[in-house]
Amino acid sequence: MTNTIASCLAILFLMYASLHAQWVNVPPAKIPRTADGQPNLSAPAPRLPDGTPDLSGVWRPDNTFEGEPANFAADLRVDAPFQPWAKALYDERKTGMRSKEDPSAQCLPQGVPRVNAAPGQWKLVQTPEYIVIIYEAFGILWRQIFLDGRELADDAPATWLGYSTGKWDGDVLVVDTKGFNGKIWLDLLGKPSTDALHVIERFHRTDFGHMDIDITIDDPKAYTKPWTVKEHVRLLPDMELMEAICNENNRSLEHLPGDISR
Amino acid sequence: MAVRFVGIMLLVVLAGNPEGRLQAHHSFAGQFDRSKPHTITGTVTKVEWLNPHIYLYVAVKDDAGKETVWAVEGAAPNGLYRQGWRNDTVKVGDVVTVEGWLARDGTKLMNMGSATMGGRKLFSGTASQEN
Repeated sequence: MTNTIASCLAILFLMYASLHAQWVNVPPAKIPRTADGQPNLSAPAPRLPDGTPDLSGVWRPDNTFEGEPANFAADLRVDAPFQPWAKALYDERKTGMRSKEDPSAQCLPQGVPRVNAAPGQWKLVQTPEYIVIIYEAFGILWRQIFLDGRELADDAPATWLGYSTGKWDGDVLVVDTKGFNGKIWLDLLGKPSTDALHVIERFHRTDFGHMDIDITIDDPKAYTKPWTVKEHVRLLPDMELMEAICNENNRSLEHLPGDISR
Repeated sequence: MAVRFVGIMLLVVLAGNPEGRLQAHHSFAGQFDRSKPHTITGTVTKVEWLNPHIYLYVAVKDDAGKETVWAVEGAAPNGLYRQGWRNDTVKVGDVVTVEGWLARDGTKLMNMGSATMGGRKLFSGTASQEN
């Protein structure tokens, strides 16, 4: 009996160790490690050769609600400064009874900035001229942030993720995004947005494993004044993205209430 | 037997993996009713290991022997993969007990809060996002 238990434990250990070697968990070479080999997430934030902060990595939102990753506005339990029509729409949506109309439920993009806080990880790739963010949720979306000094394009087509430019303010990357399609639910509760949406994100990598993002929502058609929330994301040091094609079997839609024709 | 025990222990260990947090693409409250917890035990007739949620179909017999097939909505396959699940972790013919919540629309659909097989818990977590 003792031998059986010992064998079980040995096999369990080997299976556990082998799972940590599965392809999504291959340890990257550039992550600082403590003496016992663990990722040192409190090490200083890395920098590019020219001294610019390097925000690269696989990140995951740390805002939680009942233990699960939640919306970027989860901490905003006090209402946003809604315009009256936006407040009325939000009050209907937040009951969940129009949840079929949430683009995310239809496997459509969650939009900026909600996609940063979606349950799911995203990979930031940085060069001196641009940043690309690849989002696993929910269909492999990509976003470009241009760092080459260009202005926001006035003629950019309206999209879910908008058109983004970034500038460094010391160690903080300030990203302006405009050119939205007005269809985005800013969070799962259904805070509305319009085509006037302007999002300002301030990315600050505080150490190797943590980044704060201050997000300002400036949408005068839906809100009486800009409002700001803080999102925390943490590095997933030994993690790789996986394909996630949301629309391959979206059975939820037939059970969710709402009218997607409006 | 020992292999079965180890396999189940493995899943219990992996359920604690913080990187295996589950993904959801829709509101919980829109689809399921938290005030209506429900438990079924039955035989798996079909497994859909697909995005955005896995589905188990479970045949449940009532006291009179009449069989009803329930659809059980689980988490996203990537989150489960990272927790150690594979598409054959639960197979057609396995007997499972699922605890969760009923769908609001009254169909034979429930959310998978947790699942047990052979008396041991396989999985816990919500399949969709709280409001």
